[in-house]
Amino acid sequence: MWEWWQKNRPLYLSAVLLLMALLWYSVNLRQQDETNFLEGVVLRMTGPVQAGLNQAIHGAADMWGHYLYLVDTEEENRALVENNRNLSAMLAENNEVRLENERLRRLLDFKEAQEIATLPARVIAEDATSWFRTVTIDKGGEQGVVEGMPVVVAEGVVGRVVRSSPRFARVLLITDASSAVASLLQDNRARGICRGKGEHLVFDFVLRQEEIKVGDRVVTSGMGGVFPKGLVVGDVKSVDRREFGLFQAIEVIPAVDFSHLEEVLVLLRSSQ
Amino acid sequence: MNRTLIYFILAGVAVVIQTVLMPLLLQGDYKPDLILLLVVYLGLHEGQWRGGLIVYLMGWFFDGVGGAFPGLYGFVLLAIFLAVRGIVTRVNTESSALLLLLVMAGTILQGVLVAFALDFFRQDISVWSQIAWQLPVQLLLNFVTAFILLKLTVWLQRTFLPRRSLPGLRKLDSRYEN
Repeated sequence: MWEWWQKNRPLYLSAVLLLMALLWYSVNLRQQDETNFLEGVVLRMTGPVQAGLNQAIHGAADMWGHYLYLVDTEEENRALVENNRNLSAMLAENNEVRLENERLRRLLDFKEAQEIATLPARVIAEDATSWFRTVTIDKGGEQGVVEGMPVVVAEGVVGRVVRSSPRFARVLLITDASSAVASLLQDNRARGICRGKGEHLVFDFVLRQEEIKVGDRVVTSGMGGVFPKGLVVGDVKSVDRREFGLFQAIEVIPAVDFSHLEEVLVLLRSSQ
Repeated sequence: MNRTLIYFILAGVAVVIQTVLMPLLLQGDYKPDLILLLVVYLGLHEGQWRGGLIVYLMGWFFDGVGGAFPGLYGFVLLAIFLAVRGIVTRVNTESSALLLLLVMAGTILQGVLVAFALDFFRQDISVWSQIAWQLPVQLLLNFVTAFILLKLTVWLQRTFLPRRSLPGLRKLDSRYEN
């Protein structure tokens, strides 16, 4: 018996370790909507590094784009290019400022249209994995950001805050598989739930008898208690009415381009 | 420096690369899983208890920057580590091809375990189709990254630290001598 135990000990102890890890994961699922101590520490530790690196990369890219590539030209024709370089750099810089202005103006217009107080934030990092869709923003508990707050841009819904530390917060995008947004079709008011599928969304629980067309706009219904009513979620990409069953299979393209997410607005209201 | 501290520093660097640098370099939501490579490496070079504890803590750290399920990566990475430990005692580990193969197998196992842990414990979430769709690209990305990192690490050690032996690198280096 002792020999058998000695021989198989690593295997059984591995199994026990794994079971304990799985058990601990399943216990933690109950407190999934709150930021635990360790997650707070990780956010506090990684946030400043991510923000610094993000700023450094964008700064370096701007420098390269605005100035460095002109150095060779200056050597070819110093007198003419000197003038040209300054103008080009200014133009490029102005262009960048103009684009940023446009984005912020759209956000501001949108902000003014919102009755709820909003807080602008910058996206500083993305999810560490390929399977999940979250982003880190540079605003946190000190600015009033808490778990459950909706995050939007002018184009539509981005997601909701799932983790918050004093200066940083993580936002679960609506395209994440664990995200569900109570939604309705703007035209015929058919209700359903928009679930994330990575790149796109699926609009679940829409009855077969509802008339839905490709291109129909999907907006938040305000039923979930997280997102206010009427925010744009996306547009219907495909509809499969199916031959049997209660519901249709509807694919939705999100209104927000998540690959170019730079600034967002957090809707400051008590999370429900 | 303490080996454990080095592992955690490497994990921190990997996380920053994956969250800030990779999204700017790669299109879409794909990024090489550097933490997985580290876990496979730990599986080859660390003992069951010490390595297991380091990997489990690393998983918790990773949960703070990936997904929204505390403990998920603690479980997933620990399972991958233990699987690697189970294999290394049965095969010849003096082969870089084995390390690359383990990275591939680890990627598949990670996808399966993430899908299982979410689908089994959270019935309202289904990620099987999404993971199955993304897995081939993720496999390729992890393989290429592991290959480049192996070559780079050995080259760096030979160039800058020819007389020093870094944890595990002597072993790796001897593979490339053949």
